Amino acid sequence: MDVLRSLGAMIFKMFAADLGLTLIALADVALTALALRAHAVSPAWAPFLLVAGVCAALAVGVWRGVRNP
Amino acid sequence: MVDLATAAPIVGASFLASTVEIVEAFTIVLAVSVVRGIRPAALGTGAALAVLGLAVALFGPLLSSVPIHGLQLVIGVLLLVFGLGWLRKAVLRAGGVLALHDEDAAFSKETEVLRRGDADARAADWLAGVAAFKAVLLEGTEVVFIVLAVGARPGLLLPSALGAAAACVLVLGAGALIRKPLARIPENSLKFAVGALLTGFGVFWVSEGLDAPFPGGDWPILALVALFLAIALAMVGLLRGRRASVA
Repeated sequence: MDVLRSLGAMIFKMFAADLGLTLIALADVALTALALRAHAVSPAWAPFLLVAGVCAALAVGVWRGVRNP
Repeated sequence: MVDLATAAPIVGASFLASTVEIVEAFTIVLAVSVVRGIRPAALGTGAALAVLGLAVALFGPLLSSVPIHGLQLVIGVLLLVFGLGWLRKAVLRAGGVLALHDEDAAFSKETEVLRRGDADARAADWLAGVAAFKAVLLEGTEVVFIVLAVGARPGLLLPSALGAAAACVLVLGAGALIRKPLARIPENSLKFAVGALLTGFGVFWVSEGLDAPFPGGDWPILALVALFLAIALAMVGLLRGRRASVA
């Protein structure tokens, strides 16, 4: 039971150690997908939109980490 | 046939990421073998490897039945989140905000815990075996995820598995030679590189999964890794400068 609990905690830590970072990364992917579907952005530009969002997510994650180590 | 530009980052990402995880598992297994002997360490490790092998055998074939774009999108998102987490932690550690991971300290802590439970030899062996099992299962789960995620395209699973296997051979070989925790492996530098690699692969897979691929075939993977590495290093420079000005 203890092993399963540790496994669950480890999987949670793998993907959501910083919930803010995870949510921004997920929002980035969702917004890029929506923008593509709505033809608001061309497929040629979408990867760069994705990269910009990832950089923002990292910056916010580090900033939050500095404020609350 | 997979070309070198595609296979090299796959092998490299899988090798580096697996090295970090295997070093952590090895520290615990070594502590178990030093305190309680080789038997509980080997039994715990063997049982964990059997469980991991079973999981791969059960879930591995399911992956091939998922449409490739959907698989790349899901795996890409998971890699992205996982890689960003590693990169964030590596930046905070290198910038002096978080303490560096110390294998010697982890080894001392584990041996202390195992020695405390010394009253009944059979119970202590059982607990030691469970500790080895848990360490190999938990770190091994991450290795399995990395191998499957990095190799999430037809023909790439083999280079990915080869990278992890090479890491396993290297860590176990070095560990068998020195019989001490592998504290001199620069874990945070590895975490830095792996965070950038996994984030780069994540962005690349997501863009392919969304049917909006980067121009230039597989080469953008290397550019993405270099970009995220450069950004993370710039953040470390900012953090260090900020700490120096505060001090």
